[in-house]
Amino acid sequence: MLRIPCPHCGARDEVEFIYRGDATVTRPGPDGDVGAFHDYLYLRRNPRGWQVEWWQHNGGCRTFLKVLRHTVTHEVRAVATATETLEVPGA
Amino acid sequence: MSAPEPVHPLAGVARGRHGAAGDAPLRVSFPARDIVQVMVRRGQDAALAAAMRTAFGIDAPGPGHTASGSGVTAIWIQPGQWLLTAPRTTEGALAVRAAEAFSTCAAVADQSHGRTTIAVSGASAREALSRGCRIDLHPRAFGPGRAASTPIAQIGCLVHQTDAAPSFELTVFSTLAEPFLHWLLEAGAPFGVEIA
Ligand SMILES: [Zn+2]
Repeated sequence: MLRIPCPHCGARDEVEFIYRGDATVTRPGPDGDVGAFHDYLYLRRNPRGWQVEWWQHNGGCRTFLKVLRHTVTHEVRAVATATETLEVPGA
Repeated sequence: MSAPEPVHPLAGVARGRHGAAGDAPLRVSFPARDIVQVMVRRGQDAALAAAMRTAFGIDAPGPGHTASGSGVTAIWIQPGQWLLTAPRTTEGALAVRAAEAFSTCAAVADQSHGRTTIAVSGASAREALSRGCRIDLHPRAFGPGRAASTPIAQIGCLVHQTDAAPSFELTVFSTLAEPFLHWLLEAGAPFGVEIA
């Protein structure tokens, strides 16, 4: 069970959240070609290590959050609101 | 504005004693509440705070908190959104007041029919709730005037502690009020539950 520290509600159990995928992908602009949209939709880094992810605090404040989580240890190191940026640490 | 007064979702529940006999039961009641959701418009936070102070005498509470004034309680529910609650008078009364107060700075939605409030009080209230509530309700972590949205028995619930007895007001979707009450009767059975 993950404990995710929501910036609004405080630390809550994982069951209150919905995982919404990789938060590092960026939608191509309106003139992006089919290849760019294909990559945006289907290609993920799937790292072994740190990843910034979308989690929605569905059972609490309902906001979308960015969570920096380690995919091996499940350590949650940082949480930010949707408009803030979270850098993925190297290695 | 002559809509018929709706039937309370828990009107059919048997009053009186449920569960174990004992001298410190969980006291449960179904207070009739007006419940109005207020959603601030972009960039209007200061205007909303001023309007809430003028119309209701309330300083808009921050995350996890509530504030009361002139018979109305404001409960923070998510960024930029509050629930206003007040004892029920006439159909839509609080929504009309809120719509006038926040006409330029927030959207207002009457949730009085959509949500149902269950009041729970007594020395065993914390222990009974802890059987399904994941957040810490210990006085060190929670207390009178605090509120939190959290799933209880897989039902989204707004938990609002109203006094140190302790007393809580639990607000859920009206369609789930009955299954939620069934869970509460199970959770409170070892102490006994007295429904007023
Ligand atoms: Zn939250």
